[in-house]
Amino acid sequence: MKNVLVTHADEPIGRRVVKTLFHDPDVRRILAVGDGPPPRAFDRFLAGSEPRLSYSRADLARHRPVSALFHSPGFREAEIDTLIHVPRHGAAADAHAPIVAGVAERTAEARLVLQHCLEANDVTSLVALGSAFVYRLPPGNANRLDEESPLDLDPDVVPETRSWIDCDMIFHGELHNDRVRVVLLRVPTVVAEGGFVYLNPLLAGPPGLRLRRLGYDPLCALVSDKDVARAVQAAVHSRHPGIYNVAGSEAVPLSLLGRWTRRPSLPVPRGILAAAARAAQLLGRDTTGASGSHLRFGFTLDTRRAERELGFRATNRIGLARAGDGSLRLETASL
Amino acid sequence: MATADGWEGALGTGDGPLLGRDPFDEAVGSDPFVARLEQIALLAPPRALRAPRLQAVAPLRTEPAAPPAPAREARRPATPLRRRRASTPSLVEVELPEALGLLDRLIGEDERRRLAAIAHLVDGDTPFDRYGFSPEVTRTAFPIFHALYRWYFRVASTGHEHLPAEGPALLVGNHGGLLPFDGAMTILDVLLHSDPPRLARTIVDRWAGTLPWINVFYARVGQVVGTRENFSDLLDDGQLVLVFPEGMDGVRKPITQRYRVQGFHVGFIEQALRARAPIVPVAILGSDDQAPILADLKPLARILGLPFLPVTPTFPWLGPLGLLPYPVRYRIVYGEPLCYHERFGPEGAEDARLVRYLANQVRRAVQVLIDRSRS
Repeated sequence: MKNVLVTHADEPIGRRVVKTLFHDPDVRRILAVGDGPPPRAFDRFLAGSEPRLSYSRADLARHRPVSALFHSPGFREAEIDTLIHVPRHGAAADAHAPIVAGVAERTAEARLVLQHCLEANDVTSLVALGSAFVYRLPPGNANRLDEESPLDLDPDVVPETRSWIDCDMIFHGELHNDRVRVVLLRVPTVVAEGGFVYLNPLLAGPPGLRLRRLGYDPLCALVSDKDVARAVQAAVHSRHPGIYNVAGSEAVPLSLLGRWTRRPSLPVPRGILAAAARAAQLLGRDTTGASGSHLRFGFTLDTRRAERELGFRATNRIGLARAGDGSLRLETASL
Repeated sequence: MATADGWEGALGTGDGPLLGRDPFDEAVGSDPFVARLEQIALLAPPRALRAPRLQAVAPLRTEPAAPPAPAREARRPATPLRRRRASTPSLVEVELPEALGLLDRLIGEDERRRLAAIAHLVDGDTPFDRYGFSPEVTRTAFPIFHALYRWYFRVASTGHEHLPAEGPALLVGNHGGLLPFDGAMTILDVLLHSDPPRLARTIVDRWAGTLPWINVFYARVGQVVGTRENFSDLLDDGQLVLVFPEGMDGVRKPITQRYRVQGFHVGFIEQALRARAPIVPVAILGSDDQAPILADLKPLARILGLPFLPVTPTFPWLGPLGLLPYPVRYRIVYGEPLCYHERFGPEGAEDARLVRYLANQVRRAVQVLIDRSRS
């Protein structure tokens, strides 16, 4: 029986992870941690005299609140032995877009969570969610990448991607820890019910027109949020430490994905794209996704290691479905 | 040759989507994703999990508290974790798709059926495979290349009985001509003369992957940039892979080296041994005549960042039009498969000398095929 702590449980992927683990009979207690108030979806889980789920608020990017959380009576009583770190990826209220926090916050969160995880004697497993956008892309519209593929350590990489690489390397450094089993799951674009997409730096931000490189239309690998939660569940119960790619079988070009998620893209020459990025930078706007190889080259993920060692394979399909208002939108459904 | 071990594990269920039209066209009346799910549910074995019918998108359900259901099985995969191998149904199993437009009317029923068959390579509910192959784009481009195949290059081919009907295999050919019409004609020839129809996935040079528009078009018609991961993944997937191990040396060889196979890169042998894939040598006659290279302006090519800069009877004198191939007659000959994997096994890939030796053997086989076909 596992007692787990889930970070950023108030955000869509974290919420999905909590729901999945709540229905897992091998998980006894769940301590969900989030920035905001507990989501309404947790109401029924929090009901009752001795609920299996408890919820705490903490700012994971600051040392003191994290320290207080790990030394709190709730943490001790729950006898947490497994920590699931879901990075900040977006709030439910404005879930049309993945609103990510600043780069420093994401990296600081990863470092603090890992540090306290290593200091807590009872914690024996850490499962962290990472991004597959950390890989260096060879030229080509679609590249199959496995876990051994090199990371994009180019100094000119965009800050958004840099933060994911930093987080990745923070967890990577403890993969061989004897006491705490560290599992890092690298996921591509996550699609959730209702057609929301997360963790894609090229589609971050509110809906609207975007610019992309003329002559290129990179392929984006997709995975359902339910499959991400299932992969986390499999990692919790597995005995293997390591890095695993987690992805579904679907992949679509960036132009199509943008159209489906109300973020259509306008192909422009490189010069105009660079000028637009510079102008946005001067205006203090986010220039995430305005440059980098991910605007030219696509990738899909080789998930065989996850199948072999975690026993995980994506079972949710992703496609277009007609919504109540008659419009087509991106959906997921299990087979 | 059909005894290759690697073929026996093929699942070959052929359960890819039947893409007769663009399922993301909002003008389509029925919901293609739901229809697809229903179809999968109907095809699924009785004990498999049924796909729920997608209804109108509803907000998150907030029913009263429910006790946690025992969901131990949910963590376990419903089916053993065996990899689905890409396969296409035979022609008799393929339903003839409706001719939707002018392009469809330009090609015959047999060709339409073949195009419908290779649409089964797409696994998943989006109209792209994991390398960006799009049956729709391929169907659109097909009439143009088919016209080139039939009327412009007047392709004739022999040895189709050597094309493996299923499982991983390599087609290894000689490369020539400025533009890769030899690859395009071979792909078309394989598609038109195999049953089940097979789409040869060409391993293209990395440089091609950087070219605007070209990289997208290549991906949509099933071509893949040649990284080791891509190559091994295609073979593991049971696909037919077309390689030109001469690389750029074959394309830029001068007219004096016409139909002399240049040195081979050896990576394809490693991949073939590891994937237990037979190697089919292919002689392509005509490609070296489509744009005979008189000289290669190497210094200027270096300045322009190009792999080479040829001078032909028409290029650069006629500008970009000079790059177009001459209407030469193509002849494609498939040789007997070389099943090195049966003798040396996957461990042979670790022996560099053996790999080099086998690559030279394949090169020789291609050269012999060319020489015999020309005489």
